[in-house]
Amino acid sequence: MTRLESTRGFGKPRPRVLRRLNGAGVFGLPAVLFLLVISVYPLAQLLVMSVHTVTPTTLLREWPYVGLSNYQTALASPQFRQALITTLVFVALVLVANTLGSLAAALILRRPTRGNRITLSLMVFVWALPAVVNGSLWRFLFAGDGAINGIVMSLGIVSEPILFLANERLALLSLAFVSLWTGIPFGTVVLRAALLDVPPELVDAARIDGANGRQVFRYVTFPVLWPTILVLTVLTVLYAFRSFDLIYVMTLGGPGTATTTLPFLAYRLAFLNFKFSLGSAVAVIAMGMVLIMAVVYLRASRSEARS
Amino acid sequence: MKDRAGRVATAGTGVLFLAYVVPIMWLIVTSLKSQPDLYADPAGIVFRPTLDAYAAVMEEGLLQAAWNSFVIALGSTLLLVVLGAPAAFALSRVNGFVATAGLAGLIILQMVPLAATVIPLYQILARFGLLSQVGVILTDCAEMLPFGVLLLRPFFAAVPIEVEEAAQVDGASRLRVFLQVTLPLARNGVVTVACLAFILIWGEFLYAITFISDPTAYPLSALLSQQISFYGVNWPQLMALSVAGSIPILLVFLLTERRLQEGLAVGSVK
Repeated sequence: MTRLESTRGFGKPRPRVLRRLNGAGVFGLPAVLFLLVISVYPLAQLLVMSVHTVTPTTLLREWPYVGLSNYQTALASPQFRQALITTLVFVALVLVANTLGSLAAALILRRPTRGNRITLSLMVFVWALPAVVNGSLWRFLFAGDGAINGIVMSLGIVSEPILFLANERLALLSLAFVSLWTGIPFGTVVLRAALLDVPPELVDAARIDGANGRQVFRYVTFPVLWPTILVLTVLTVLYAFRSFDLIYVMTLGGPGTATTTLPFLAYRLAFLNFKFSLGSAVAVIAMGMVLIMAVVYLRASRSEARS
Repeated sequence: MKDRAGRVATAGTGVLFLAYVVPIMWLIVTSLKSQPDLYADPAGIVFRPTLDAYAAVMEEGLLQAAWNSFVIALGSTLLLVVLGAPAAFALSRVNGFVATAGLAGLIILQMVPLAATVIPLYQILARFGLLSQVGVILTDCAEMLPFGVLLLRPFFAAVPIEVEEAAQVDGASRLRVFLQVTLPLARNGVVTVACLAFILIWGEFLYAITFISDPTAYPLSALLSQQISFYGVNWPQLMALSVAGSIPILLVFLLTERRLQEGLAVGSVK
């Protein structure tokens, strides 16, 4: 019940009783002011910085205006194009695998047995662990002198250690894998909750009508899940797009630039190369992509609410 | 037929359990190893356990970092509740354009990549002399606030408006109604969101490493994130530091696990 309450979209008229207590909006003012100063103003400042030249020495002084030249420099640079491709590949990988993995895990864990409860709790715990912890753990497991190489080498499967994080091709895959390992628990909880919303009478009725397991999933379960899957998809894209912590801890964007995504490139330019304005321009471009996804998300969640 | 599906599901549960428990087990096991044992067999589980790695990270300022983490995460979480609970209440009681704009704004802010805000925030905090733990508390809170308000809103929406109206008829001011009637009724949600915020802020490190210049003021997460730059990693120490950084999460998790799962399921799909 609370779930249905909460998933009601906005833009829909609320029950009229709520209108009687007007003036409650005042309670939102402190948060609005706070966010205006610490979230919205910085975004405006980001735009300003991206059309000026800002260096560490001029950070707190006047900045010369340079128009769109930072954007031109960014768009023309091979590292930007490389980062764009890396971002798209990474997001696509995580999106597909995370959605399928979460769906499979949700189906596996749908029954409230003891084993399922324990497994789900463990998964949520891993999700709750800081990315620095999960990243450090997998950095060890993937290391040349780490656990996985220790096993495969002692079994004689390979003679040289596999360079999971130091090989240009493997590094992005390894990162995506860890990103899935930490991300799938979230998708599982969300989809499992949606699965429990599937009316059991409907499943029973389909069974009586002679539907087999696959048909029940295809024609009864899946349509109920679909809107949630849609929302989860968008959340996953954002999650993958934003995954910065793991990259920072595990590869620092390397080897070379093999795991430098757009948000990471923005950070790298600003704080490792001290090109604040160029970093800002890349960040604005990344923001633009996020905004597009935000619109998609708002639409998807509205259709989820309607169902 | 049902039996077969049941067996597949059971096997699947086993696979999932192993996929999550084995790496975590390695995390703990490795933190209890000595360097020579680790080199001899990086994956081995038969060895003489030692607390050397923990002793070493203690010497490198583990307790100070844990205290810093605690100050930052608690400060940020308290600020988030103080700002977020009334805001969620407001959002659950208004309608029309204000509600739509508020929700859309929060959803968009929630999606902004940290890497985008960190650049201008550095400049802004520098200008106000806030490149310190205070700056990190403020910015961590701002980062989590949209998510927190979105998650809190349904809990306030579930409080029947008639209860508030009854209190108002009795002459209580709106603020008193909120503090003495609505807030206590929504306290489950507030606790859930506070725990979730605490967990997420505990792990945040980007703002911390960027805005704090004095490493002794670093939280644990920031200390952990900097271990990559060390030449030649001491794995047992890194794992010991990771375990130490996970213990508070484990405590919060054990206290609120059930609610956390429900909160996630509710809050995400909105």
